[in-house]
Amino acid sequence: MLERSILLFGYGSHGKFIAKGLHEDGFRLKIIESNHDYYLQAKEDGFMEVDHMDVTNDRLLEVLDPERYEQLVCVMEDEHLNVFLTLSLRSLFKESYILAISDSIHTTKKLKMAGADKVVDLYEVSANKIYNILKRPVATKLLEGFVSGRDGVGFKEMLIPRNSFLEGMTTDEIDFSPYGVLLIGMIDEALGHAFVFITAGINHELNQGDTIVCIGPEDKLNAFAEEIKKKESSL
Amino acid sequence: MKQLLLSIALRLRSSKRYKEVKSYVWELLNGTGNPYKKYLDTFIIFLIVTSVFILVYEVTNPVPIWLDYYDFYFVSFVFFIEYILRLWVHNDLSQYIVDEYRDSQFLHRDFELWPVLKHGLKEKLNYMVTPAAIVDLLAIFPAYRPLRVLRIFILFRVLKLLRYTKSINQFVEVIKNKRFELLTLLFLLLFIVTTAGIALYVLEERINPEIDSLFDALYWSLVTITTVGYGDIAPVTNAGRAISMLTIIAGIGMISFATSVIVSAFSERLSEIKEGRIIEQVNKSRSFLIICGYGQMAKMFFRQKKGSIDNYIILDKSLKRVEEARKDGYNIVQEDASRFDTLSKFNVDHANITILCLTGSDVENIYITLNAKSISRKIKVIARVNDINIVSKFEYAGADHLLMPNEVVNTMIRTAITQPTMYKAIHAILTGKSVARIDEMHVHDGHSLVGKSIGELDFKVNKLLFIGLQRKGEFIFNPPLTEIIQSYDILLLMGRKISLEYFRNRHEGQV
Repeated sequence: MLERSILLFGYGSHGKFIAKGLHEDGFRLKIIESNHDYYLQAKEDGFMEVDHMDVTNDRLLEVLDPERYEQLVCVMEDEHLNVFLTLSLRSLFKESYILAISDSIHTTKKLKMAGADKVVDLYEVSANKIYNILKRPVATKLLEGFVSGRDGVGFKEMLIPRNSFLEGMTTDEIDFSPYGVLLIGMIDEALGHAFVFITAGINHELNQGDTIVCIGPEDKLNAFAEEIKKKESSL
Repeated sequence: MKQLLLSIALRLRSSKRYKEVKSYVWELLNGTGNPYKKYLDTFIIFLIVTSVFILVYEVTNPVPIWLDYYDFYFVSFVFFIEYILRLWVHNDLSQYIVDEYRDSQFLHRDFELWPVLKHGLKEKLNYMVTPAAIVDLLAIFPAYRPLRVLRIFILFRVLKLLRYTKSINQFVEVIKNKRFELLTLLFLLLFIVTTAGIALYVLEERINPEIDSLFDALYWSLVTITTVGYGDIAPVTNAGRAISMLTIIAGIGMISFATSVIVSAFSERLSEIKEGRIIEQVNKSRSFLIICGYGQMAKMFFRQKKGSIDNYIILDKSLKRVEEARKDGYNIVQEDASRFDTLSKFNVDHANITILCLTGSDVENIYITLNAKSISRKIKVIARVNDINIVSKFEYAGADHLLMPNEVVNTMIRTAITQPTMYKAIHAILTGKSVARIDEMHVHDGHSLVGKSIGELDFKVNKLLFIGLQRKGEFIFNPPLTEIIQSYDILLLMGRKISLEYFRNRHEGQV
């Protein structure tokens, strides 16, 4: 399987944005589009690996060899086509990781039934946002800034490397604030793949292979990511 | 005389206090916004109820003399004052006089007091003959003691209650709309009653001992046609019975006709009445949400946060969507939110209103935003923007928050691909479903946190993560422990719902 490679189906209103973002993040992209106009648009935007094809044709899908890619992302403009495509991909390639977008309540359920591993529901996310704006306007605005990295503060996930000074420490005794970052939560590989928030009140031991998510200013986060590779804390 | 009235009118017009008092009284009696209106209404209703109670009680029991005095003098006096005040605030005589005076000065013609006074008094008289004013006047009468018969006028006090019940007004309104049909029916009824009555009178007056006059016969005819049939007067001849039969058949037809007219009138107006009620209900609350458009977004919003949205009203233009929302059990009104009339129906001055523009069209959302902001800057607007390129237009229109579904979801997908662990965390925070919420805490003036340093606060003990604080619009991430909290700071905290609530309560001194 190719590392950091994405097979993107659809270059419509969502696909366009996602492709741009992924390209910035340094992912290898291949774009598939059935609509000729969108296909030309993708070409025009400078993407090299763009194919124009009928996604309802299983033979053509097989030729693409989707299993080479880390993730398959289905964001076709036509929601019916999107569900059909998800279903085809799942039936053909059992192992692939499929991410799909849904822009109606009913589609989310269908996409899940069709076998998508993750469905991002446009309306669910937005509806929550309305509620958040109503209940906690300041926090919502700030959080949005964190997510988009707009105000210099952002989230970052880091893998704890072998021989890091963090190994063996517990979440209760950890205080990252001297480094200028805060620990939000982690994935403890010893306890399954669930994400645990630091505020849940459960003490965890950090081990090699665990993933931690921190919040902080961009430069501090990067410095901290380097720091945890060391055996001894520099502070 | 003319000069005297004119100088009084001029003085009243120039007095700010007079105008203030008058508009205050008007608001108290007729308006909706005055906070004391509630108490006045309750007081008047109390007077009416006690008065009627005394009337009924008095029939079989002696009442103490003070209660009598209360009923005759106090209640009547209050009603008298109320009547006079209502008459006073109905229009402005002094205004008319002053206007006429200014006009005549402007045109260099002689100032005539009488025509303008006549016009003003005529308006007052017009008010006096409205049903409500007549009822008010009759409710004062029982104060006149020598005429015992006037006691029955106390029942007019009950009619005063109609002022406070919307349903009766609506009923009258509905009946008014069917005036033509009902009048036709009434004439038909009169015609049949008279004809049948005369016929029976002619046929049986000499034979039937019960019928002594034409009045008896007409009474019989009405009792029969309405299918009441007391039976105190009954026809005794075959001819009389034949007339009875015909009358009964006509009666059944007429009653069903009358019923159907009224029922159809109601069903025509039913949705309108219901909508009026919904608007009235929501206007009573101090803060509420107006949701424009019942589309996917609104549905999802409700589906997720069903229990936690108390005061809201949905507006939608499309009848299909309105019916759908009704079926789903939501308070919806079929109105166009981009119209000035629609939004000005709401209690803009006294309530905190937040408008959610969730329609699928950007043009419509902008229009609603502008409409709301033109009615009052106080209205908060959260608008949905579909096309990211026109964000600046929404900002220019004055929207307080923007909701960009496409942008949000695109960011989410990008995060889901590039940083899957973080996606889980952010998704959980955004949806607020899991143990972690990011919440804000507003430090008001005089809050117990003011003057404390960050280091003094026990965030960790309460299982909270202190992320930073916003001060004067600026966000400070992870401030040093020595930082002192000031009034109007907003703390950004993360934690479980109970931790957040506990912390909040503890520092507001509620625990």
